Amino acid sequence: MSRAYRITVKESETRNLKAGDEICTELEILEILPPEDMATLLKEELKKRGFEEQDDGTMVRKDGELTVKIDPCSGEVSVKAETEETVNQEAKREATGFNDVGPNEKNLREKVKDQLKQDLDKKFDQEQSRLQGKATEALEKHLQDLQPEISEVVNQVTRDALKQKAQQIGTVKEISEDAESGSLTIKVEV
Amino acid sequence: MTRTVPPPTQPPEPDGPRQVSKFEYNLLRILKFLVGHFPADQGLQLVRTATTKPECISVGAVDLVKDVLSKALVLFLTRAGGWRNDKYLRNNTPASGRVWGRIPLDERTLEFSRPVLDFLFWLTAEKVHETKQAWDAAPKALTPTDELFFALAFDAMRSDPDVLAMLRRKDTFSRNPFCWLTAPQDVADPEATKPQAPDFTPMFGGLRAVLLECLQTHLTHRWIRSERDKGQLGDWKRMRHQGNAEFVALRDFLKAAEAARRADLARFVLRTNAAVLQSDLTPVFWTGGLQGSGPQRLADRLETQRAALAFPRQMETLEVWQERARYVGYFDDDYQASQMWKADWEAVNGDRVAARARAAVEMLEPLRGPIAGQPATGTGTPGGENPEGSSG
Repeated sequence: MSRAYRITVKESETRNLKAGDEICTELEILEILPPEDMATLLKEELKKRGFEEQDDGTMVRKDGELTVKIDPCSGEVSVKAETEETVNQEAKREATGFNDVGPNEKNLREKVKDQLKQDLDKKFDQEQSRLQGKATEALEKHLQDLQPEISEVVNQVTRDALKQKAQQIGTVKEISEDAESGSLTIKVEV
Repeated sequence: MTRTVPPPTQPPEPDGPRQVSKFEYNLLRILKFLVGHFPADQGLQLVRTATTKPECISVGAVDLVKDVLSKALVLFLTRAGGWRNDKYLRNNTPASGRVWGRIPLDERTLEFSRPVLDFLFWLTAEKVHETKQAWDAAPKALTPTDELFFALAFDAMRSDPDVLAMLRRKDTFSRNPFCWLTAPQDVADPEATKPQAPDFTPMFGGLRAVLLECLQTHLTHRWIRSERDKGQLGDWKRMRHQGNAEFVALRDFLKAAEAARRADLARFVLRTNAAVLQSDLTPVFWTGGLQGSGPQRLADRLETQRAALAFPRQMETLEVWQERARYVGYFDDDYQASQMWKADWEAVNGDRVAARARAAVEMLEPLRGPIAGQPATGTGTPGGENPEGSSG
C-alpha cells in the first residue's frame, strides 16, 4: 500500500550586501591663470569647505555614505555613494513524497534544498536591488545639494583668479562685487 | 586636368542572353542585391536559401560577375559624391574638380580580389544564418575596393538580425573600416563593453582616400538620418551600445585624419553636425525616445545619455582643428590646407554649430550649476527626467 509523507525544509542565510553608484564629471574652471595657479586656488577653496588633501593630490570629503573627490589639477569630480548591509533571509518549503513511487526521501530533500537555494538567491537579489536603489537615491539627492556648493566654489575660484590677474596687470584701484547678480568689477591702473 | 583612356576592347557578345545555371543565376541575383540593384526582400530570401554548389562556374557567368562588379561600384561611387565638382587635398594642396578630374586613372582603378568571388559562392551555396562552412577573409588580404564591396554587402544584409549576427563575427566585416564608418552600431559586438574600432590610418592614403572623397556626401546623409532616428530609440541598452560604437569609430577616425593631415576627409562629421544642430537642441533630441526610467544606477543612465550624444561630442575635436588652423601662417606648409578647412568651417558657421554642440553636451553633465544671479535651467541630476521643451 502506498503511504504518503511530507517533509519540510527550512534554510536561512546571512549575506553582506554592498551597493554603490558613482558619477564623474568635470568642473568648468576658466583658464584665467596658469593651470597650476588655478589648481592651487581650487585646492584652497575646497580646504575651506572641509575637503582633505590626499597623497595623490586629490581633495576628498566624506558626507556619510557619500564621498566627493575632486582632482584640482584636472577638475575631475567624482561623487560616490556606497551602502552596505548584512541581510538575513529565511526560506521554507514543503514537499510530499510516497514510499513506493517517485524519488526517495533523500532525493526529495535534496531537490527541495536546491529549490530553497534558488528562493534565497531570488530574495537576496531583491534585497540587492533595494540596496542599489537606496544608494542611487542617496546619490541623486546629494547631487542636488552639492550642485549649488560646487557652483559657489567655481565662482569663488574665478573671482580670486580675476583679482590675482588684475594685480598682475597693474594697480588695483577698486573692486566691487554684487553677490546677487554675480558681477565683479575691478578697476586697474596700468 | 581630365585623363581619359579608351575602354578596353571586349570580345563580341554572343547573340541573345547568356545561358547560366541555377546556381549562377542565384549568385548573380545575390550580387545585384548586394550592390543595390535587386529588391532587398528577394535578395535576403536568396541569402537565407542554399543552392547546390557546382565544381566551377561558366566563363559567361564569370564575365557577368565582373561586369556587375565593375559597373555597380563605379556607379555607386559616382552617385555617392564622385560626380561633385569638389575640392580635396592632394599632396597637402587643394585640388578641385570631379573625382575623375582630380585623380589620375591609375590612382583610382578599382581592383577586386579572390575573396569577393569566394564570398559570393558562400552566400549562394549556404544558408548564411545557419552556415556550416566558416568562410572568412583576412582583412590584410583585401584590396580597398574589396573593403568597399564588403561594406556595401554588409549594409544590404544588416536588416536581417540572424544574418547580421553571423556577419558580425567575421573579420572581413568587423575589421572593415568602411563598415565602421557607415554602420558602427551594427558591426560592433553588442556584448563588448568597450567596442574596438579597426585602424583607420590606411583610410587616408591611396585608393581608400579617393573612395572616402567620393563617400563624403553619402556619409553625411547617412549620419544625419542616424542622428535623427536616435530620438526614436526606446531601448537604453541599445542606445548605449550604439553611442559607444559611434563614439569609438568617430574618435579613432578623427585621430587618424589628424595624423594624416586630411581634415578634408572628415567633412562629413562637420556637415552632419551642422545639419543636425540648425537650432539650439537639448539632449532630448537624441534621448527623447528612451522608454521607462532606464537602468537602476545613475552612472549607467548618465553613461547611456552621454553615449547618445556621441556625434555632437566630436565637435570638440573639430574646434581644436579650427583653432589650430587660425594660427597657420602664410609661409607655413599647411597654409593652403588650413585655409581650405577654415572655408569649410565658415561655410557651415562652425563656431555656432560648435557652441550648440557644446551646450547640448554640457546639459547632460551633473554639477554644472547656473551662474550666480541667473535662474537654474536644470536639476543637475541627469538621471532624472529629460528636460522639457526639446525639439526632439
